[in-house]
Amino acid sequence: MSIYAQILRERLRESFHDVQYVEPPFDDSIADIGKEWKSALAKLKFANSYRMEPLKKFQAHSVETKIQQILKESLKDVKYDDKAFSHLSLDLADRVLAAVKEFGYHRYKFIIKVLFIQKTGQAINIASRWIWDVAWDSWVQAQHETESYLALVLVFALY
Amino acid sequence: MEVYHRPCDEVGFNAEEAHNVVKECVDAVLGGEDYNQNNINQWTASIVEQSLAHLVKMGKAYKYIVTCAVAQRSAYGFHTASSCFWDTTSDGTCTVRWENRTMNCIVNIFAIAIVL
Repeated sequence: MSIYAQILRERLRESFHDVQYVEPPFDDSIADIGKEWKSALAKLKFANSYRMEPLKKFQAHSVETKIQQILKESLKDVKYDDKAFSHLSLDLADRVLAAVKEFGYHRYKFIIKVLFIQKTGQAINIASRWIWDVAWDSWVQAQHETESYLALVLVFALY
Repeated sequence: MEVYHRPCDEVGFNAEEAHNVVKECVDAVLGGEDYNQNNINQWTASIVEQSLAHLVKMGKAYKYIVTCAVAQRSAYGFHTASSCFWDTTSDGTCTVRWENRTMNCIVNIFAIAIVL
């Protein structure tokens, strides 16, 4: 852990950069749990399903309406507040993830990104690019704008 | 029936390498520049595209999603959170926060393993 911190410190120069969050987790024991489970699973022999395509393809429009609704409900009459919003962003991300999982798209992996931007007259530019299988993978965006802030939710679904 | 083990995926996503790659891309595009409304679209696009190109050049069997947010540096509040549902042993993420005198930039990389 200390070596990692040293390496990070060495990299600080005039233009600051910072690694906020890195996978795998610093605590190695958490990573090991997954590997133990995976090797245990390997000992069980499953028959191949030979299924290259998903059973149900990701439908962007229904997910979009659901997420827009969640956003509207959670953020109705919520004013911008520094401390509350850092918890709210995590809470909202978890809620959206649970809702997307409920749709029942099997074998899909989801990535939810929630952004809250306070409106103070500054400009912000957000861009995303990806490399994935265009046949099955897709993304959805929902936003909620109020007087003091803008909330943006991005959902990526990968098979 | 043998289970085929791919050696590179045993260690999961190499966030350190990805972080270096992205940092170089951002430095190359935004290093020494001041915030400029005319160029900002082009900068965000090139940061993301170059990062993606370099990540793919690493030659691993991964799908990548790269997100970049660049904002003018002033007094404003900004919160971002991500929640992911994936295979924690093989998939991973890396976030790089970069700033200079006039701009703040956050780049997120998500890597999902392609299970062949």
